[in-house]
Amino acid sequence: MKLLAARRVPSAIALALVVTIVVLATASSTRVGVALSVAIDLAIACAFIVSVPELKTRHPVVARALLTLLGLDVAIFLTFFFSSSTNFNLATGAAMSIVLLGLSFLTGASGQISLGNGAFMGVGAFTMAIWANHHATTPIVFSLLIAIASGALVGLLLGLPATRLRGPYLAGMTLAFAVAFTFILSSFSSWTGGDSGLQLPTAWIAPRWLDGFYHAGTSPLTTTTLYITDVAIVVAGVAFFFMANLFASRTGRSMRLIRDNDVAAELVGISLPRARVVAFIVSSAYAALGGALLTVIDNSVSPSTYSFALSVTILSLIVIGGIGTISGALIGGVVYAFSTSVISWITTHTGLNPQGNVASQLNGIIFGGLLILTMLFAPFGIAGAVRHFWHRMRSRPPG
Amino acid sequence: MDPFLTSRVVTDILGGLTNGVTFGLVALSLVLIWRSTGVLNFAQGAMPMFATYVGFALLSYHFGYWACVAACVIAGLMLGGLTERILVRRLYGKPEINPIVVMVGFLIVLEAVAAAIWSSTPRSLPSPFSSIHWQLAGKPFALSPFTVYEIVTAVLVMALVAALFRFTKLGLQLRASALAPEVSRLLGVRVGRLLTLGWMLSTAVGVITAILVSTNFFSGLTPTVMDGIFAYGFIAAAIGGLESPIGAIVAGVLLGIVNQFVTDYVNQNAVIMVALAMLVVSLMVRPSGVFTKSTQRRV
Repeated sequence: MKLLAARRVPSAIALALVVTIVVLATASSTRVGVALSVAIDLAIACAFIVSVPELKTRHPVVARALLTLLGLDVAIFLTFFFSSSTNFNLATGAAMSIVLLGLSFLTGASGQISLGNGAFMGVGAFTMAIWANHHATTPIVFSLLIAIASGALVGLLLGLPATRLRGPYLAGMTLAFAVAFTFILSSFSSWTGGDSGLQLPTAWIAPRWLDGFYHAGTSPLTTTTLYITDVAIVVAGVAFFFMANLFASRTGRSMRLIRDNDVAAELVGISLPRARVVAFIVSSAYAALGGALLTVIDNSVSPSTYSFALSVTILSLIVIGGIGTISGALIGGVVYAFSTSVISWITTHTGLNPQGNVASQLNGIIFGGLLILTMLFAPFGIAGAVRHFWHRMRSRPPG
Repeated sequence: MDPFLTSRVVTDILGGLTNGVTFGLVALSLVLIWRSTGVLNFAQGAMPMFATYVGFALLSYHFGYWACVAACVIAGLMLGGLTERILVRRLYGKPEINPIVVMVGFLIVLEAVAAAIWSSTPRSLPSPFSSIHWQLAGKPFALSPFTVYEIVTAVLVMALVAALFRFTKLGLQLRASALAPEVSRLLGVRVGRLLTLGWMLSTAVGVITAILVSTNFFSGLTPTVMDGIFAYGFIAAAIGGLESPIGAIVAGVLLGIVNQFVTDYVNQNAVIMVALAMLVVSLMVRPSGVFTKSTQRRV
């Protein structure tokens, strides 16, 4: 049995590699590639499920990579069947989930709280827009990297004083930054375009080698949305993969020790200031990446998006999803993607006047209420509640 | 008349003082709650805003300004007490982040509910005093009857709070239950009730601030009227030290004056950036505030 298990691991990896190559090859020719990729996804899923326990303990990084690949394949496959507006919502949700991942790491792993992640998101968004306006030909991956770097730099600048602060002081300082951010933007209006913000010079379109997927006879608007959605999903997938590894790494474990008992952490030789700055930088870099992606999705950026309200929304989403967890960021992203539709559904089905005061404030009432209820009754959000329930089910004696 | 009184510097100082006392009041109300319950109340702007809307609803029943003010304060006392009993009481002894998140949620809910009931268009409140500035030898002076009312009220509230804590038995009990809740309980102090009282008191101080701010001719009363004031009040409280009421007030007034100078000599946009820079620098130099004695933090 053990021998068999050992043999399964490399075979699963080999299978996954073959799948990726086949998917890429078919993608460049026809849409049949989509159908084929589904069949192969099922194959990976089977291989993955059989070898899960061994793979998880022996090669955790490979297991995470396979899981990410599987998730990406399924998500991208689904986007081909959704309407343009659903895809647009999904893309925003994917961008938001990256931001949530950063906050989840900062708050959940190192115990710091930030009310300024909306502003860090804005740093990335505006860097992306300004860069695209000056260097229109830069490939998308490179522009995203520049946005990440700018977010990390601002995170470092604010993270240095933050290392000396505890909970409420830090929350207040990041709040002040979030409130100041819109004023900072208007002070540099020659760069940031003032109140009206910036437009990207060109819409991002799919490169030629993906023609089979994105230019097969549908309208250009639909294919552009589809392509951007898939880019957002892939970027989010990569972000999730890196974060999952970071959570499990030595850094991630030392962060959790700091959160639970900072004195013990110092005694075993962890440098508290350094760990806190690192957590801050990672979180703001992730926020900047999410913001940059949002600029690409909207094809424009406006300063009013990056108000203090956005930081509060980010905090609500990660608390509802499950703070300090990776799945919580995914749940929060999905909630964000569909919250507008759900709220307009509630408005129409309760017979509220859609232009009335109550309907326009429903978003705040529901999110604020959920934030309070979650923190009081399920402090680890949906992800924590599901995990708790799952453990109770499994530990129940048979019969 | 002396041209000194209408000079640019004096105008800025007096104008800054008018704003500064409101920052100082918010900072004071934050410190009151922080010292007694260890919670940084992020809804400290929104709760008074809500109580002010409730109190000034009496205007449509032909009540006068002062009756509305009294109603606002009563609404504030009730809202503060209920919040402590229903929401905050469940959070004592939980990780630091829980009360922060809950109070941020409460902030969102209060602002959304206020906008849903009363709409977010500014509502102008009647002012008991004229806000037309006095003239000195043909030049405008920095103060008006209304700003004098603002400053006098703020100083009066601060003095009342100080007197309550220093000279009354109730104040002594409040201080004792904040400092050593267990010992106070053993000595027969009803600590639970006093915590509720602390929240009521702090919200009432906030309500006075909200009334002063929203009676202002320019802003009026809106659901988000206290957002900016709260940010400055927090910055003042953090610079002065969350443990020190005097520090909070002094820092608030100074912050108001600095803001006025920055507005006058640089521009409006730079104000919050300068305030943020002051916060960052003061926190780097003295993380627990300029006016507090450094103490070992509890593990």
